[in-house]
Amino acid sequence: MTGEEVTCMQCGATVVPADRFCESCGAALSEVRRVAIPRAAEALDGPAGPCADCGNGAYVDEYCTVCGHRRAKPDRDQMNIGGIVLISDRGLEHARNEDAAAAGIVAGAAGERPYAIAVAVCDGVSTSAAAHTAAMAASMAGVDAMLRALAASRKARSAVLAGLADAAKAAAAAGTGSVDPSIAPSCTYAAATVVPTSAGTVQITVGNVGDSRVYWLPEPPAPAQCLTVDDSVAQELISGGVPADSEAVQAGAHTLTRWLGGDAEPTPWSESSVRTITTADGGSLVMCTDGLWNYLPEADDIARFCAGTDAAAAACALVDYALRAGGQDNVTIAVIPVGGLL
Amino acid sequence: MSSIEEQSVSSIAVDVDHNPYLAEGAGTVDAIVSIAVGSEMAATDEPPERVEAIIVDCSTSMLSPHGKFDEAKRATTAAVNEIADGAYFTIAAGTDKAVPVYPADGRPTQASEATRAAAARAVDGLQPKGGTAMGTWLAHVRRIARQHPGALTHAILLTDGKDEHETPEQLGEEIGLSEGEFTCDCRGVGTDWHVEELRAISSALLGTVDIVADPADLADDFAAMMRASMGKSIPDLTLRLWTPAGARVAFVKQVAPTVEDLTHRRVDAGNQCGEYPLGPWGAEERDYHIQVAVEPAAAGREKLAARVTVVAGDESLGEGLVKAMWTTDTALSARISRRVAHYTGQAELAQAVQDGLAARKNGDVATATAKLRRAMELAVESGNDGTAKLLRGVIEVDERTGTARLRRDVAAADEMALDARSTRTARVRKEA
Repeated sequence: MTGEEVTCMQCGATVVPADRFCESCGAALSEVRRVAIPRAAEALDGPAGPCADCGNGAYVDEYCTVCGHRRAKPDRDQMNIGGIVLISDRGLEHARNEDAAAAGIVAGAAGERPYAIAVAVCDGVSTSAAAHTAAMAASMAGVDAMLRALAASRKARSAVLAGLADAAKAAAAAGTGSVDPSIAPSCTYAAATVVPTSAGTVQITVGNVGDSRVYWLPEPPAPAQCLTVDDSVAQELISGGVPADSEAVQAGAHTLTRWLGGDAEPTPWSESSVRTITTADGGSLVMCTDGLWNYLPEADDIARFCAGTDAAAAACALVDYALRAGGQDNVTIAVIPVGGLL
Repeated sequence: MSSIEEQSVSSIAVDVDHNPYLAEGAGTVDAIVSIAVGSEMAATDEPPERVEAIIVDCSTSMLSPHGKFDEAKRATTAAVNEIADGAYFTIAAGTDKAVPVYPADGRPTQASEATRAAAARAVDGLQPKGGTAMGTWLAHVRRIARQHPGALTHAILLTDGKDEHETPEQLGEEIGLSEGEFTCDCRGVGTDWHVEELRAISSALLGTVDIVADPADLADDFAAMMRASMGKSIPDLTLRLWTPAGARVAFVKQVAPTVEDLTHRRVDAGNQCGEYPLGPWGAEERDYHIQVAVEPAAAGREKLAARVTVVAGDESLGEGLVKAMWTTDTALSARISRRVAHYTGQAELAQAVQDGLAARKNGDVATATAKLRRAMELAVESGNDGTAKLLRGVIEVDERTGTARLRRDVAAADEMALDARSTRTARVRKEA
């Protein structure tokens, strides 16, 4: 989805980028762009470095020609789009990055400023096979569906629900061919759209399945807050009145009660999984996997990293913090500046 | 979980079927590699030069029982009639030496209506007289093969007795010298020959071995062998196996259509590669079981355990990758590919039959019973009906109690058929 070949989001006809309306169906045209990480090693720029295992510098089909190890993906991938910063890092303990993130923008016709934003962050469930395939597929499918809905001027809530539906299908399809559905790839999913309203405010809509989170960090004095509710045993206990610092809650912190793909329910979300806030404040929306919030669970903790700096610097600082704190899991983060951008 | 990779270049398909997941610390990778040559690939515009050599046993024993030699002559003519026009052929009488029958000077001539008729007349005039020295027969074909470098040279060898007029060492040496020079299908008529002897020849020379108990069946069998040979159009394929540094190739076995251990045929090709000659091919599919021991890597890492390339001359015609991925998930690493399991069983079956029959010959009833009973189990389990049927001729297994008993009166022909056909495997469907 580059800006080069533009098709009408309504009817699929190829259109002239300068046109404001589709010649074919008359729909308003907008440009849609999307990026996703982590990218495959072969898609990244630059020559292959020496094999990390044996020092040999030649690869065939991405395998070292001497020791046979698969060429390692870089530990961290970062992409920026329309002011949004995505970073995904393998962390220190896991051998493979099974997180993924995608972000896209709907621009007005003829290169106007971004009109709407859609972002998704996924965490592959590492007890499933090839979890990274589910995370990758779900994040991209979710963002694509949200962008289609937003470009068609549908409501943000409907876009987030469309994203959840397509992400669920994509995660389930990632397991096609698996012998045993109980180990089919599965992942978490947290999505957000940011859309301006005619009143000059911004509407932030979030939806999630699993324990990846979205934090809204407005400029002070407005309070920082977590917009999502985890689908975890810990959260269920807390909702039921068990103290957050109790042993039972601690033990259930990472036990998911809902997920996408694998043997998940067909629609593992409820209407209440989607939530909208409308704000006139500027600030940052931070989306992340538990690789980050394990070390920074409180919204205020994360807010400190975002105050008075740009999105890229904040995102880097947050990921670096998680690594310094142990980096026990993959760390993926999206930082979306709100206010200045829209 | 199994993975199937298929890459097809010039219609040679190389399939890899295995469980790529390994537990931490494990390093043994088993894969079934299927190589299939398509009919378009096999049907070349310019057929390669072919040389067919038929060696008919003309030892004195061929005179009895009455009619056996006539059937051998009829079979030779039947085979000659299947030779395509333009292919070179020659017929020799095998005794304690090999004597040209047709053409008289021993130099192969091109098949035509006239030469086939002349060959039939020459064969008709043959008289058995002499001994048996199969090594000299192989040497005769080898000399011919060397006069036709690059040709598809194939021999049919018929005997009715064991190799008597040379030492086993002499025969072994001739077999070794003939490897890679030509291919050879061996047939034993009657029951006075040794399966082990003919198998040594056919195995080394990439051919088949079988018993033809009734001489009357020789003609059909010879015609079928020659038709199969005419179906081979690619003179030589080679399996090139790349393995990572520090890896060891435990074995490379053909497992379908028959079990044939190729491990010792490896020719080092440098760059961590070894080459295994596969012989001539037609439009056909063969399966190979490859086991490689690699250095284990940490959970989450992936390594290429082997790269299998099918090569003709310097040209690479197909390739398959055998990958290994380490995981802490035992549900993944504990799986065994269905085809790896099946062919492991088929190889064990062939060995159990051969060991059981050898023990039986040596009078070791306990070992023979145990081995053949195990063979029966494997044959029935895996659906190898051919071998199961032959096994019932030598061992009785009570289906209810599982008690096994060797049959007292076993026809020599049944026992030899079981032995000769022990390496034939049942195929198993590929996992889609």
